[in-house]
Amino acid sequence: MPMTEYHPVCQVDEIPDPGKAVFEVDDRFIVVFHLDGEWHALDDCCTHDGGPLGEGEIEGFQIVCPRHGARFDIRTGQALTMPAVRATPYHRVKIEGDQVLISLSEQ
Amino acid sequence: MSTITEAGFTQEGFDAFLLERREPDWLRRRRIEAWEAFEEMPMPRGGEEWRRTDLRAFKLERFGLPLLPPADTAMPPGLLGKGVELAARAMTFDSLLLHAELDPGPAGQGVLFGSLDDLVMEHGDLLRRYLLAGIVDPFYDKFAALHAACWQGGTLVYVPRGVAVERPFYLLSTLSPGGVDLGHTLIVLEEGAEATVVSETASSDPDGGGLHCGAIEILLGPGARLRYVNLQDWGSGVWHFAHQRALVKRDASLQWTIGALGSRLAKVNQHVALVGEGAHAQVNGVMFTEGRRHLAYHTLQHHQTPHGTSDLLYKGALQDRSHLVWRGMIKVDPDAQKTDAYQRNDNLMLSEQARADSIPGLEIEADDVRCSHGATAGRVDDEQVFYAQSRGLTRKEAVRMIVSGFFQQVFDRIAIPNVREALAQAIGHRVREYQET
Amino acid sequence: MATDTAITSSDVIGEINRYDFRNEERYVFKAKKGLSREVVAEISEMKGEPDWMRDFRLKSLEVFESKPMPRWGGAINIDFDEVYYYLKPTDHQGRTWDDVPEEIKTTFDRLGIPEAEKKYLAGVKAQYESEVVYGSLREELGKQGVIFTDTDSAVREHPDLVRQYFSTVIPPTDNKFAALNSAVWSGGSFIYVPPGVKVEFPLQAYFRINAANMGQFERTLILVDEGAQVHYVEGCTAPMYSTESLHSAVVEVIAMKGARVRYTTIQNWANNIYNLVTKRAVAKEDSFVEWVDGNLGSRLTMKYPSIYMVEPGARGEVLSVAFASAGQHQDAGAKLVHCAPHTSGRIVSKSISKNGGRSSYRGLVRTEKGARKSKANVVCDALILDPQSRSDTYPYIEIEEQDVSVGHEASVSRIGEEQLFYLMSRGLSEAEASMMIVSGFVEPLVRELPMEYAVEMNRLIELQMEGSVG
Repeated sequence: MPMTEYHPVCQVDEIPDPGKAVFEVDDRFIVVFHLDGEWHALDDCCTHDGGPLGEGEIEGFQIVCPRHGARFDIRTGQALTMPAVRATPYHRVKIEGDQVLISLSEQ
Repeated sequence: MSTITEAGFTQEGFDAFLLERREPDWLRRRRIEAWEAFEEMPMPRGGEEWRRTDLRAFKLERFGLPLLPPADTAMPPGLLGKGVELAARAMTFDSLLLHAELDPGPAGQGVLFGSLDDLVMEHGDLLRRYLLAGIVDPFYDKFAALHAACWQGGTLVYVPRGVAVERPFYLLSTLSPGGVDLGHTLIVLEEGAEATVVSETASSDPDGGGLHCGAIEILLGPGARLRYVNLQDWGSGVWHFAHQRALVKRDASLQWTIGALGSRLAKVNQHVALVGEGAHAQVNGVMFTEGRRHLAYHTLQHHQTPHGTSDLLYKGALQDRSHLVWRGMIKVDPDAQKTDAYQRNDNLMLSEQARADSIPGLEIEADDVRCSHGATAGRVDDEQVFYAQSRGLTRKEAVRMIVSGFFQQVFDRIAIPNVREALAQAIGHRVREYQET
Repeated sequence: MATDTAITSSDVIGEINRYDFRNEERYVFKAKKGLSREVVAEISEMKGEPDWMRDFRLKSLEVFESKPMPRWGGAINIDFDEVYYYLKPTDHQGRTWDDVPEEIKTTFDRLGIPEAEKKYLAGVKAQYESEVVYGSLREELGKQGVIFTDTDSAVREHPDLVRQYFSTVIPPTDNKFAALNSAVWSGGSFIYVPPGVKVEFPLQAYFRINAANMGQFERTLILVDEGAQVHYVEGCTAPMYSTESLHSAVVEVIAMKGARVRYTTIQNWANNIYNLVTKRAVAKEDSFVEWVDGNLGSRLTMKYPSIYMVEPGARGEVLSVAFASAGQHQDAGAKLVHCAPHTSGRIVSKSISKNGGRSSYRGLVRTEKGARKSKANVVCDALILDPQSRSDTYPYIEIEEQDVSVGHEASVSRIGEEQLFYLMSRGLSEAEASMMIVSGFVEPLVRELPMEYAVEMNRLIELQMEGSVG
């Protein structure tokens, strides 16, 4: 069952555009992206080696894992290149006033 | 026992703690060295030890030196101390030893049992060489250093030469919600001694949090025999870090069984060093994980001398979205000819989201040896379940039976009947029913 | 395999001489020592490459420089500034044997290529230093649309095909040595097999390192379209040398739906060579990829042929034999990654260590979430032949899918005394008996090799057992 509960993580002006930041939400680590006026959120987890993804570089709408270069689509979590083959979970983001809120998808 | 301290492991807190201790200088010096190392070392991250265990959610600063446990908290009863006649019993709560008693029989034979904190004063000369031997390396990582600096509420089991104690020694360590356990267990069996030690851990609130940063040091003299059972059943919010190591000397025999049921995250190093010819160790693991817990057990069978034998069997059943990591190494030194070493890890996946990592290992530098390992992973056989259901069992009962069958091989190795039954029951209760997809 | 005549010392010396010879260095162009943007750009220019490849190389150089050395595996003591990264012996690629310069022909004559070409092979690509010197392609295959050429030519002649797949299996960021190869790669094979075409004879290539401090950075890309089949064989030799040499290859294989690919390697590098290779295959629906990997020689080999089974029904198999003798460390193994349902994988690894050699198996079996009904089985056996030698096994098993069946077993031991005794009681000397047992030990792999390789492999193992090589 999808979780519809939204958790506040930060203020809108805490993440520049383009930019990203990692937050702990309900025991999970989430990377929040602010890109081209859009907001996205992914698990801070590269599905290739299970390590953090948020430390990587943003290239266009892709996040590049710093360890082996696997690329994920920030807008969907889809794995785009080897050595990753599986998508990383994508979470819904909502803005209310100047607050950024996240609704976690299932793990 | 320290009185109230602020949250956080701080220099001030440590200094105050040292002031209150009544112990020999050599121990105080060792604590100070360890504290310095603790302050210097970073939180561990990455490398083979930590890449599968994510510590980002662990905030060490939320814990501090143990406070006195709350007065009216009900103590958890423990599973393994019932229905059996014991030689000795000890109980700690939040690193405070509440109770220790030893039968007069063994006491009369020179057996020492009880508060390590107190006994180290009375028997300093005897215990000094064990506590300073570095059976567990106090500088192994930040947790080992923290423990070596701040351990308290420790327990000693000492059996002198030639003495065989038939009835088990029983230790129960418990935590209140948010409590801290820094207990140190030292087990020494001199030449030809024999004993059985059963220890378990539990939380007063099964969902409670807390921190356990502990160590277990075992030394078996030549020809000694020890059966040791260690059941970890902390509350589901407890962070559990432990370094455990046994030295097995010539012709000595160790049977060490670990049960792991609880905690939020466990990172345990269980090392056995066979340091005398003909040493023998049997290491058993019974793991049942559920919820979101993460259990990482790293074992080592280190053969340093010839004619040693070791046999490790770790079985895990995983439920919900838990994660179980077993990493085991068999290391055979160049001199350890005629070693016979074996490891086996079997994982039974009971749910869709569970995850198991199994990493056996061999590093062999002698040639006249026999070393092997095996690992399997799989799920419950649907046909077996269907068959059981057709015989009138519910699905949950069927799975429980299969799980019980899965662990049977390990249970058969445990020679202590009440322990076997208690473990089997504890696991049986935990088996959940899943909606068939 | 019975030996009717004992191996004499002159046979053995003959064997060494067969491989251990070097020609004077006569090269059209030799790049500067060391690695820099300048060297990388020069390489691209010499090859007449399109911009995208030059940019890819330069970006890869940056990645190489930013990555740390691996802290696991063997000890890598290379001074990257002392290595030559490019050498081109002739200006054009020979079409027939007659076109090839005499000296180089002699080298390959001694390695036996012409005979092999006639009898067994569809086409031969022989690599001398960094360029492919000799190539020919059987007419039938040409007509069927099979492309078998060197990778340099492929970049020029089949740009769309190459660009679509190049570095998609192994991106330069994958590891430090993949990045290095991506920057300075030269030579290697490019194979494309169109749908439904089954290539009957093995396609083969040879490699050779000659000049001091020469690096070999071949880059191979094999694309097997739906329902097609091919077997590719590579074998390497190199002379003894006192300074370090570096071999860092990248092999990418893509097996489309229903395709079958087997890639066989017999590697026999000399003791001064670092052999650090990344080999990976992507196996699509119902395809079958096999790696057959024989590692004898080199100072250090780090190589883990991998198969990613990314669509249902894909199958992967790795057969690996490693023999480490004095001064050698084989750190080899395999990786199976199950990413889709109903995939199955198998790894059989046999390793031998002798005379102080060190042989390590390092492998991974991973079943990703969703890889339902997948099966994987790993068997690693290691023979350790004397107390000075060392054997390690480092398997990793990661299970994220419940509905799978995974088994792994490994063992390390010496030659069984009962077996030895039995053979010796039949008149064999201990050395001969040991040799027989070791042959039997590696037989599961050797029997999968093309005939000529099987013979070469057995001979190489014999020499290793004698202790006269390596």
